[in-house]
Amino acid sequence: MMDCAHYRRAILADPHDHNADMRLHRDTCQDCSRYTDQVRRFEDRLDRALRLESSAEVRDRPGVLPFRIRDAQTLRLRRGWLAAAASLLLAVVVAGSLWLAVPGPSLAADVVTHMAGEPRAWARSDVSVPERTLDQVLAESQVRLRANPGLVSYANSCLFRGHHVPHLVVQTDSGPVTVMVLTHESARTATRFDDHGYLGMIVPVPGHGSIAVLERGPGTDMNAVERVAAKVIGAIDWSA
Amino acid sequence: MKDAIGGNQKRARFQALCQALRPDLLRFAFWLSRDRALAEDVVQETMLRAWKAQDSLLDEAAAKPWFLTIIRREYARSFERKRFVTLDVDELIAKEEPMLAAADDHDVEELRAALFKLPDEYREPLVLQVLMGYSTAEIAAQLQLSNAAVLTRLFRARKQLRTLCGEDTRMDPEESRLDPEE
Repeated sequence: MMDCAHYRRAILADPHDHNADMRLHRDTCQDCSRYTDQVRRFEDRLDRALRLESSAEVRDRPGVLPFRIRDAQTLRLRRGWLAAAASLLLAVVVAGSLWLAVPGPSLAADVVTHMAGEPRAWARSDVSVPERTLDQVLAESQVRLRANPGLVSYANSCLFRGHHVPHLVVQTDSGPVTVMVLTHESARTATRFDDHGYLGMIVPVPGHGSIAVLERGPGTDMNAVERVAAKVIGAIDWSA
Repeated sequence: MKDAIGGNQKRARFQALCQALRPDLLRFAFWLSRDRALAEDVVQETMLRAWKAQDSLLDEAAAKPWFLTIIRREYARSFERKRFVTLDVDELIAKEEPMLAAADDHDVEELRAALFKLPDEYREPLVLQVLMGYSTAEIAAQLQLSNAAVLTRLFRARKQLRTLCGEDTRMDPEESRLDPEE
């Protein structure tokens, strides 16, 4: 049986939680029933406070593009000058370093954005995709496997920056690691990134583009990312 | 010709999606940043990035969490790009007066001022829950926290808000640690 303190903590964390234990407690405890009314009145106020009805919608006139392309381009140009100056300074400071904590609007950022749109690809699994599916996905980018890259639980051909690219998930001890085979994206040096929960790297494959390898979540491990990168690069026949 | 029609349809669909979601995205970005101009920049950048990456969105039903993920990253990036001057909360409120002008009663106004004072790590899950209608599990997935950590933050957020707004807190419970990491 739930006690008052437990009930009140739960109702304060989620005033609309209606699980059976809580209902039972509320129905039998007058104080907690009164407390619930008090919390819910506060919740109505909170809801109204967060809505920001009028001003937030001022710019949402029907028929207007949801974003202003020209404004954005101007913004980018303005930022471009600042970025050029900042890059120069940054280049001096971090010359030689491969670590980029903030990848900015880069290939790494686009890879992370792509991954955020495919949550199903992050599932842990011990079931491999059929070999035929994997071959087909890779064949679309004119590559094929010549060795086993590990347990591949997901293989899909995804549109990325205007090209169909193989998107694979390799299961490791530290969790699923995603690989994107980017035959259209060349990279000069290996770049590691740590982008808000996504840990990964872009590895150049001289003459054949690059691969992006990343992991997310609390158990992320750059060593696992590096191991998978090395294994996949070695397993792919790039001149198929 | 066929490509052009396909391109137009794609653009129209994306535009409709953005138009439907934009008010909520702006609100979310505003409560995240507490700065209207920054919120608009972040939403703008988010939509451009989403437009470029729209092929990644396989299921339109997942659009909202996808956009929210991009907003959080764009906001964090803008924060890392700039060095913000520390502002007094009262100054922030005064600066955002037009955005907050919809308050038609003192209670709501007072609560908005309290929301401005709430630490980011408590305000964000609260906005996701109240404004976006997210469940505890969905907030946990979005913020990469455990369910227990989310519940602890939500509990603390409301408790602090109630105190800041001068509510009668005599019946409020004491905290019990739901999540050892919090």
